[in-house]
Amino acid sequence: MEYVTPEGLRTDGRRPRELRKLGCQLGTLESADGSATCEMGFTKVLAAVFGPRDTAGKLHPDRAVVRCQVATAPFSAGERRRRGKRGPLATEQAATIRETLAENIHLELLPRTQIDLYFHVLQADGGILSTCLNAGMLALADAGIPLKDLVGSCTVGYLESTPLLDLNYIEESGGGPLLPMAYQPNMDKILMLQMDKGKLPVETFEVLATLATEGCRAVTGQIRQSLMNHTKQLAVARGSV
Amino acid sequence: MSLGASQVLGPGDPVLELPESGEVRIGSGVRLQDGCMAASKAGRLQRTNRGKLWIKGRQKKYIPRVDDAVVGIVRDRLPENFIVDINGPFNADLPLLAFENVTRRNIPALKAGDLVYARVTAADRDLHPVLACTNALGKAAGMGPLSGGMTFSVSSATVASLLAVPPHPALAALGAAFKFEVVVGVNGLCWVDADKLATCVLVANCIRNCEDLGAEEAGAVTKRIVQAMAG
Repeated sequence: MEYVTPEGLRTDGRRPRELRKLGCQLGTLESADGSATCEMGFTKVLAAVFGPRDTAGKLHPDRAVVRCQVATAPFSAGERRRRGKRGPLATEQAATIRETLAENIHLELLPRTQIDLYFHVLQADGGILSTCLNAGMLALADAGIPLKDLVGSCTVGYLESTPLLDLNYIEESGGGPLLPMAYQPNMDKILMLQMDKGKLPVETFEVLATLATEGCRAVTGQIRQSLMNHTKQLAVARGSV
Repeated sequence: MSLGASQVLGPGDPVLELPESGEVRIGSGVRLQDGCMAASKAGRLQRTNRGKLWIKGRQKKYIPRVDDAVVGIVRDRLPENFIVDINGPFNADLPLLAFENVTRRNIPALKAGDLVYARVTAADRDLHPVLACTNALGKAAGMGPLSGGMTFSVSSATVASLLAVPPHPALAALGAAFKFEVVVGVNGLCWVDADKLATCVLVANCIRNCEDLGAEEAGAVTKRIVQAMAG
């Protein structure tokens, strides 16, 4: 299969270094303390934050505990089947998201509490981890939990000797290496960088890491814009309050 | 960096560079990060009269602070205190004797599900919050069990605007037309009571409307609703 045409177009008509359309909505769930929906192309994730609340399990006397669960809807991908939230993939994704987002929270400000993050993948078309991270980030901001920075995340890959930004499902199944990254732009710090599948020469890895950083910056810009719009919309930001 | 009155910030945004000398006072939502003051939540930057910088955001969870007047739901009664849900990370303790003129013989008969209007007397980060239904002088000052009426929740930002002085335009418009009692807890729980149930529902809906509207706009909308109801 050809992933990049000689004219430099990908399967969905994008250029290699082009992000998909990013759409974010905050406060989508009434019952949660904070919630957000994030869409990257056709991938759509709903994130809900509950907390800070009393710990159900082990408490930490000096910091908050973050818990995370990722569920995937049966109808999220091509074939309709039950996709558990306790399978190895979901558990691994949940652990990655928990570690990454916990690193961005001022946990020491909320001792003895617990923050629960729930993710529901409604549509899966590649870049699930990144979309979850972006949605989770916005949900945390919506919940008013003290954060260190606004984290943005995107995935890069390498197919047919071309670095590709923000891969869709077809490209992710292409067998090339995948690098999801999470990045704090204000602190200029990489929070998470994984390499799933495949091998890469060091020089190419550097090119991909740089591309991922740029992608994350662009994503953060858009996330920030949605958060600011949401904040301004609310009565708080009006001059009249 | 200039400190405009209506600056909207997001998490991680720089608020102010640390001056060479002098004093900077910071409140909630502002943290010292890498030698720079950075915002830790989304909201509007505010400056108090004494120069303290803080960020006014909107959140549903309540973080207890001493002297806040809150509306709580009684969850349980223990030998020494009531357990009260105040919509915070932890349930609060309300000592059985923390009411005006209450001794061992006449402890209020509160049971699970009842409402109390109380003041936070202790909010230590390592202990559960403690409430009292008296002011610092031991007087009830309007606090105590709330009977009848209905409750609903609003976010922290709406609470702040509802409790502002002079009264919120929406509340003023409602108060001019109807007779009702309203208690706005800093924790986001509101209680309304009136002679007629319809008035309760109307007041509750009008206050909930304020969530997405500015104060002036909410006042105008409420006035229209009140006129429609009266006419």
